[in-house]
Amino acid sequence: MKKSCIAMLLAGGQGSRLYALTQNVAKPSVPFGGKYRIIDFPLSNCANSGIDTVGVLTQYRPLQLNSYIGTGQPWDLDVSDGGVYILPPYLGANETGSWFTGTANAIYQNIAFIENYDPENVLILSGDHIYKMDYADMLREHIRHEAACTLAVLTVSLEDATRFGMLNLREDGYVGEFEEKPQHPKSDLASMGIYIFNWKKLREYLIADENDPNSSKDFGKNIIPKMIDAGEKLWPYRFDGYWRDVGTITSLWDANMDMLSTTLINLYDPAWPINSRSPVCPPHYTGEKAEIVHSIVTEGCEIEGHVENSVLSPSVRVEEGASVVYSVVMPGAVIEKGAVVEYAIIGENTVVEAGAHVGGAPDGSEDWGVATCGPDIRIRSGAHVPAAAMIYTGEEV
Amino acid sequence: MRNYHGIIFAYHAQPELRELTAARTAASLPFCGRYRLIDFPLSSMRNAGILNVGIIMQRDYQSLLDHIGSGKAWDMSRKSGGIRMLPPFGLPEYHTGDYNGTVEALNAVSTYIRDIEEDWVVLMLGSLCANVDLQAVISRHEASGADATAICADHTPMGVHHRYVLGEDGFVERIALYRTGESEGVASLEGYIIGKDKLVELMDRCRAENLYLFHRDAMTKFLGDGCRMGVYIHPGYANAVRTVEQYYKASMDMLRSENRRQLFPANRPVRTKEHEEVSTYYGEHAAVHNSLVADNCIIEGEVENCILFSGVRIEPGAKLHDCIVMRGCEVGEGVELDCVIADKFASFAPGVKLVGSPKLPTVVPKRTKI
Repeated sequence: MKKSCIAMLLAGGQGSRLYALTQNVAKPSVPFGGKYRIIDFPLSNCANSGIDTVGVLTQYRPLQLNSYIGTGQPWDLDVSDGGVYILPPYLGANETGSWFTGTANAIYQNIAFIENYDPENVLILSGDHIYKMDYADMLREHIRHEAACTLAVLTVSLEDATRFGMLNLREDGYVGEFEEKPQHPKSDLASMGIYIFNWKKLREYLIADENDPNSSKDFGKNIIPKMIDAGEKLWPYRFDGYWRDVGTITSLWDANMDMLSTTLINLYDPAWPINSRSPVCPPHYTGEKAEIVHSIVTEGCEIEGHVENSVLSPSVRVEEGASVVYSVVMPGAVIEKGAVVEYAIIGENTVVEAGAHVGGAPDGSEDWGVATCGPDIRIRSGAHVPAAAMIYTGEEV
Repeated sequence: MRNYHGIIFAYHAQPELRELTAARTAASLPFCGRYRLIDFPLSSMRNAGILNVGIIMQRDYQSLLDHIGSGKAWDMSRKSGGIRMLPPFGLPEYHTGDYNGTVEALNAVSTYIRDIEEDWVVLMLGSLCANVDLQAVISRHEASGADATAICADHTPMGVHHRYVLGEDGFVERIALYRTGESEGVASLEGYIIGKDKLVELMDRCRAENLYLFHRDAMTKFLGDGCRMGVYIHPGYANAVRTVEQYYKASMDMLRSENRRQLFPANRPVRTKEHEEVSTYYGEHAAVHNSLVADNCIIEGEVENCILFSGVRIEPGAKLHDCIVMRGCEVGEGVELDCVIADKFASFAPGVKLVGSPKLPTVVPKRTKI
């Protein structure tokens, strides 16, 4: 069946800069914002934009991601003429086969999947961004400007520009130049790593790039520059909403804190729901002595202690006298009596025992970092995990 | 496949639930922030591996149909078997008037009952708020060799109920109908395992004599035939909700952790229709104590001893005590509510004050604007 546009979601990244949080899971399945996993955002955007066919390219530790996505039912992506497909690297007959060697190579290896749907266009997404975007609107611009490729862009400050792929436009508004992490940026338009390609064109470039021994098989480094050099029409799609890359501990923590403000990104908008696969738990219980201020709390939590400026995931327990401040607590974690958690990320099912202390507060301090405990750890009673510490699963603390 | 087939009675309109059942049956009453009462019997069946289940309904079942959907939430959307919604069909005499009793309700869907392939039928009330370990009931039933097993409470429930008096052999000696308060024997929770053929025979005999009540008529005949009925005492929370007062009490009971532990044990989860919702936000001035709060609420006011369903908005300065606030209600600035049950999408303009009492909570009907 012919489709106007299908999506390919790059979810294979290890997310090595999330350290203990991605020791055993891929970055897209890291819990985020209380009820979500990072991948819920692009998947929900697809469903809300009317894109019902999504290939999810997995590679690094995909077990949890595979079971999380399942049939795609939580995102209404379990449709009969499309749906969500997990696409791991594979071996063909008489081939040596390999892991995905780059973002472009990952798509190249799945040309057969895409051809099944004979799409006009292919949307390329990353599995590590937090944002709400109407891809249908982007697709309309892409078609209207008869572009070979449309890149979602946002305006960034010149300091930030050195971290992004930056676009310089021609006078007619199309992209004239693409610079990856430039030392001296010439514009303030950053690529968000979200592309819509005309499939026929992309197919040509993928095959040519695959045969280029000097290519690193990457969209930003190879495919886009080659298209510009060949004089293809590349259109910038301007996005001015909330968008965060959550590739580092600090950015993950920051973006979680952003969820406490409905003015940055409104998750309460019924017209654009972000869906997730969540276990059915009873409503959360807020106890006699609980104090919860400027925080988000969700199903299955039992709160008897003090929670302030924090994001709690499902089934978190905060016992009497415990204090959770400026922290992100992932599903099933327990903060026992009198424990203190501040400026920290606590991994899934980790237990902070009575009286333990995780993280340190910046009382005007400039030099601090988010303390991070991976999943399934016991922070022993009386232990002190300092600011900026990184505790891995299996460590004794 | 299990040799047990589930039947849930969800036709009761229960006039004593007043406005709460104006457009729904007791079985589809919203409960504990995110559930409907029927989730409890359905989950009990699911957790015991009983996936072939018929739900008997009669009228006002739109909300029930909407909630059950395909039965997927309980893994009952199956290629063979699964869930079946049973409005009256077949016999024209059952198309008018409310069912007078459970036997009449069974007879109204008698072709379905006759076609059941399993040897045993598990009967449960759709409005029984209890997490019954049906696996344990089945084990007990099979070990005892009884012709039927009655699920009974470990306490004396509120209101009128039937009791079973046991003989020395542990089987039921006689039934004590319509009792209130402490009395002889054990209180029935109106859940049964009974042989399918025996059930059909009792339905036929009652119909021939124009009898329609399950306990007074069918069970009296069953015991009179010399059939052996065993008893399973459900060791945990149970409340068959029939009145506003019972509904209110059952809801407030959920604020005690031992009741929640009995109703929501980790090994027998209560399943319900999924609502994809965002977390609840507590604002700068929120003060919430001893309350159950569902997702997607925004709380800026003071809340104590309350059950809040999803999508509730509580503005600054509002004070809620001992209330049940259902999905999508809006509570304006400075509103004071005490012992109020606000049905779905009710809204309270700033400054409104409304007080009920635990014996007679004030019910604010669905979509009322005050």
